[in-house]
Amino acid sequence: MRILSGIKIAVIAKIILVSLALAILGLLMQSAFMNGDVQIGSFLAVAMVLIALIYFTKISIPMKFFLPGLLLLITFVVVPVVYTVSMAAYQYKTGNKLSKPEALAMLQKSDAFAQVPTEPRYDLKLGWCDGKYGDAKPVAGPICALVTDYTTDKYFLATADKFTVVPKNLVTFSKLGLPNGVTQTGAQPAWEEFYPDEYATYDKLLNATRFKYDKPGMFMKAEGYSVMAVYAARITYDSKADAFTDIKTGAIYKDNGKGNYANTKNAKDVMTPGWRAVVWFDNFVALFTDPSISQPLISVFIWTLVFATTTVITQFALGLLIAIVLQKKIKARWLYRSIIILPYAMPSIMSILIWGGMLNTDFGAVNNLISLIAGHKIHLNWLTDPTLARSAVLLVNLWLGFPYFYLISSGALQAIPAELTEAASIDGASGGQTFRRITLPLLMQMLTPLLISSFAFNFNNFNLIFLLTGGGPRDVLGGASAGATDILISYTYNIAFSKGTENFGLASAISILIFVVVAAISLYGIRRSKVLETFA
Amino acid sequence: MIIIKWIKESFWRHLVAWAVCFFALFPLYMIVLTSFKKTTSLQVNSFLPTGFSWANFNSLLNNPNIPYFRWMYNSVVIATIVSVVSVFIGAASAFAFSRLRFRGKKTGIQALLLIQMFPSVLALSAVYVIMDRVHTFAPAIGLGTQGGLILVYLGGAMGVNIWLLKGFVDSIPLELDEAARVDGASPMQIYWRIFLPLASPVLAVVTLLSFIGTFNEYILASLFLSDINSRTIAVGLQSFISGEFESNWGPFAAGSILTSVPIVVVFLSLQRYIISGLTAGSVKG
Amino acid sequence: MFSMKKAAGVSAAVALVLTGAFSVAPADARSKAPAKTLTIWADGQRAPNLIKAIGTLSEQTAGDYVPGYKVDVKGYASFDALKTAIDAATPANGPDIVMGANDWVPALAKDGKLAQFTLSTSAAKNFTANQLGDLSYGGKLYGVPLDINNVAMLTNDDLVQTVPTSFGAMVDYYKANKVSQGLTRGLCVAGGGMSWGAAGVLEALGGAPYAMSGGKAKTTGAPFTVATFANNVKSLLLNSDGTPNGFFTDSDASCKDDFIAGKVPFAIIGNWEWKDYVAEGFDMGMLSAVPGVKAGTFGAGFGSVSGAMLTSFAAQAGDDNAAKSFLNDFFGSAAGAASYEKYEGRPPANKGAAGIASPGLKGFGIAASKASIPQLGTFLNGGAKDTTGLVLGTKAKPGTKGANVPAYWDALPALWTALVSSDSTLRKDPTVASQLFANIMAANAANSVNN
Repeated sequence: MRILSGIKIAVIAKIILVSLALAILGLLMQSAFMNGDVQIGSFLAVAMVLIALIYFTKISIPMKFFLPGLLLLITFVVVPVVYTVSMAAYQYKTGNKLSKPEALAMLQKSDAFAQVPTEPRYDLKLGWCDGKYGDAKPVAGPICALVTDYTTDKYFLATADKFTVVPKNLVTFSKLGLPNGVTQTGAQPAWEEFYPDEYATYDKLLNATRFKYDKPGMFMKAEGYSVMAVYAARITYDSKADAFTDIKTGAIYKDNGKGNYANTKNAKDVMTPGWRAVVWFDNFVALFTDPSISQPLISVFIWTLVFATTTVITQFALGLLIAIVLQKKIKARWLYRSIIILPYAMPSIMSILIWGGMLNTDFGAVNNLISLIAGHKIHLNWLTDPTLARSAVLLVNLWLGFPYFYLISSGALQAIPAELTEAASIDGASGGQTFRRITLPLLMQMLTPLLISSFAFNFNNFNLIFLLTGGGPRDVLGGASAGATDILISYTYNIAFSKGTENFGLASAISILIFVVVAAISLYGIRRSKVLETFA
Repeated sequence: MIIIKWIKESFWRHLVAWAVCFFALFPLYMIVLTSFKKTTSLQVNSFLPTGFSWANFNSLLNNPNIPYFRWMYNSVVIATIVSVVSVFIGAASAFAFSRLRFRGKKTGIQALLLIQMFPSVLALSAVYVIMDRVHTFAPAIGLGTQGGLILVYLGGAMGVNIWLLKGFVDSIPLELDEAARVDGASPMQIYWRIFLPLASPVLAVVTLLSFIGTFNEYILASLFLSDINSRTIAVGLQSFISGEFESNWGPFAAGSILTSVPIVVVFLSLQRYIISGLTAGSVKG
Repeated sequence: MFSMKKAAGVSAAVALVLTGAFSVAPADARSKAPAKTLTIWADGQRAPNLIKAIGTLSEQTAGDYVPGYKVDVKGYASFDALKTAIDAATPANGPDIVMGANDWVPALAKDGKLAQFTLSTSAAKNFTANQLGDLSYGGKLYGVPLDINNVAMLTNDDLVQTVPTSFGAMVDYYKANKVSQGLTRGLCVAGGGMSWGAAGVLEALGGAPYAMSGGKAKTTGAPFTVATFANNVKSLLLNSDGTPNGFFTDSDASCKDDFIAGKVPFAIIGNWEWKDYVAEGFDMGMLSAVPGVKAGTFGAGFGSVSGAMLTSFAAQAGDDNAAKSFLNDFFGSAAGAASYEKYEGRPPANKGAAGIASPGLKGFGIAASKASIPQLGTFLNGGAKDTTGLVLGTKAKPGTKGANVPAYWDALPALWTALVSSDSTLRKDPTVASQLFANIMAANAANSVNN
């Protein structure tokens, strides 16, 4: 009954904690809605309702335990994963990353007009014309540009509807020789430069202004505050037909259904940027029909399984061995323990790369050490021979992972009640028998979930492969797209994320494939090991 | 007789420990050699030091542009918060999975396992987009902040930690909970009063694993923490080796060695909990 | 320190932008807009140096560099982190300007992350056509060149007193002194790796990633004459029995250390690391391009530029004019580039700022002027498909139709392995291997037609 004595404090603490959580989420929700992010705002609102329901009613007791973790998991893991997976239905790659409206707006802005290469590029000073000295700010412009052609030493004043040549003798110059004013004579308009803070103020107006040019079909546009370029119409957009027409060539560009406007006469001639078009199962079809993806898939898949399984077995075996060895209080045990934890404590990038150096055939420490022991020079091609490279990957991964298994094994060994093993030894069982019949089964019960988890981690152990062998050795010149140590994730990465030719949609499709396979294997493993049945 | 007994019981243990320690230390020795070299390359030809120089440590610790101790502090703070909070939250879920009866439990556990199998490298940009949006209305916990990074880490740690803890928790004997349940205690009370104290060694192990994992994470952190003073040590060190062209291995090696120190310290300080175990205290008591 | 920064800032400001406007004291009541901010993203090295040059946000006065604006520099921990961030950037958080590598340009432009930029006539004079080409895609320029990145061959003056004039002379030296000096190799790549850094070796032996014509890479035809290259490899890198002679290996491991230890007479080093060699007492007067097979010729290495690029986010935030002005007036001008490169310490692309180059950097400049090819992402980054099945195969044994053609970055290291690996199982007939490499680069060039 002592257990119930603290009940009041617990209730008060609960109310305070839950209210605090609700208050923080409430503030965030309000802020989200005020900033127009309805999706996140609603998400937070739902979270708040759930929290209130779960903790102030008795709807579900288990949920009281699950909710905080569940919310975090959904927000930062499930949602991103779902988003990523959904990308498999899209043409989502380099050149096709925007939404269609974004891409269309960008194309209209960047391609509707093109700079005329034959016209000079002018230097520009922005200001006001028509004697607006000392005036209050002009309501709607017009901005008046003093345009200089240094190559011919000519000066012009331009507004949206006037283009005037200014005789050089009317222009005044700063000490550095830059024009900074125009004197008024007769009909000639005077000009005064923007004040510093006017640039930012009139930036929108400047962006909207097309300055008049003295050639038909052309206009000038400011490129920043100091450059004026001459533009002419290049392409027109017809929103009804959703098509672009090139003014010069007459070529028509239409939505090709794959995220680009393409020339109707030459499908390869597409406008960029494109957008993420929904292509449904195209990426999955490519998975099986594109020979450079599908061909090595089986062998890579088999090696991935071998790699992940062997890794888990070796890491666990060594970790458990040490845990058993150090279970007994021997001298300097703390020192051994500290040393053994070190590989795990060291940042793994450092370790993997130093291993890479150590495994070099001609200069590496591993071959040097073997040579030293053997007494003569030995050249083992650790990273260039397929079999040796695979062994090397397993060796390095053993080094990286055994301390983890040492830690959890020693934790688990401690969790086995001493009575059980003591009772067994009283019954006359030998140490080995006790271990096999009592300790190991109990350990396996505790650790199987972790072994599965570790299997899943290594199945996707991108860093190790990428940093140690890069998937190689790979017969690049022979056209092999997969290397001897490529696992599915590194193989996917090479195909879908190589420099400049990223294909996120395809990568998502492959990741779904990987996911389905690894999930099926793991579930099968769980069923067989009956882990779940112990508490189901 | 005593010697034979010693050989039988302890000597082989020392032998195995020695062998494993050699295996563990060989690459580390190479890192140490690299860190004391004058050059900045990664390659070590000789087992013996070819020259001794503090230059790498110096450039790490005495460079005004490298706030080494600030980075270390950031890492320790972030990793501590993440490991403690995530284990605390995760323990509740693990307890529920292990001790409570409810519908959909099996499905829940399987879902938890499956979500971990997704190749997370691919979901990186989605996380970025979400936190970018959060930043627009809550600058304190959005992209570019340690707060935001901690939240993302907490989310990421959840699956692994619950899964890890569940395995251990299943092994804790049920007798005490049942006794309490008979006494009329609610699941909440059992959790707080009986379960948490019992599970403390397990929680210590998982906290340690979580701490190490967070401490060494750099992909998310380098995306989140752009301000030089808010960086973690993993990100700070990473910047030595991922220059546009140059990789500065010396300071990175030196930094890696120093970085492992807090982890070993945390390990040693938690060792008591990890090793003491359930056996001595709770089950018998 | 503070006063120096301030002084640099003020002087640059006066010289650059506001010459005219500063002379007129604002006396009337025209609108006083609050300062806006221009955002620049850079990597962990460039960001602090740019901040040193222009001052922190709080040290600046609005209008120091762009009228009405302050300039905020955000540094990412590493170059990779910056790339990931810019790939994921959105209009809500994206920068106005990003300082990055020239080979980012094609992909970022295709993704709509970059916006066209027009260099002013005065700034354009400070750059070469090649440099501007590096930052262009599809005929549009996207930024201002910042610094030059290249490699050059350093002759170890502890071993050899004069810079060799031909590839053969280096091989002869290696053969004659291999045993007596305990040389591990004759020539190795210390900086830039076996594809970027080793391009000069490829070119010196008569190979090339693409054929150049009139300053532009050709998209049709063979990149080089396979027979010539293969013969040069046979006579210079292989023994008569076809085994490698050890002069040049397929690994860059330990190159820097061995060179410094006097066990390698010639090494290709990067212009970002020359100070390490000066510290060891090497003479930067011994820098050169990799000597060619014929005396007096040289193998061209990559000369690429990094750039400050205009993003499309600038226009979406209404900052594009300010961003364009900053690019032109600061990075495009001699004074601006010099004030930045003074801290950055790389060889500036801007001719007007070249005066600050140190003796070491001059050596790289000379090497680059002797022989240099632009680094063109669309030709080098792969992405071509083997439509015939013959790129990676032969008529006797065709490969997979539709297979991905490797990028130059993967193909050249593989070529070295095929030619001079110490592992005999990996070596191939030099002519066959060279032909495969040539096919690969020809396919990648043909794929660049539409780019």
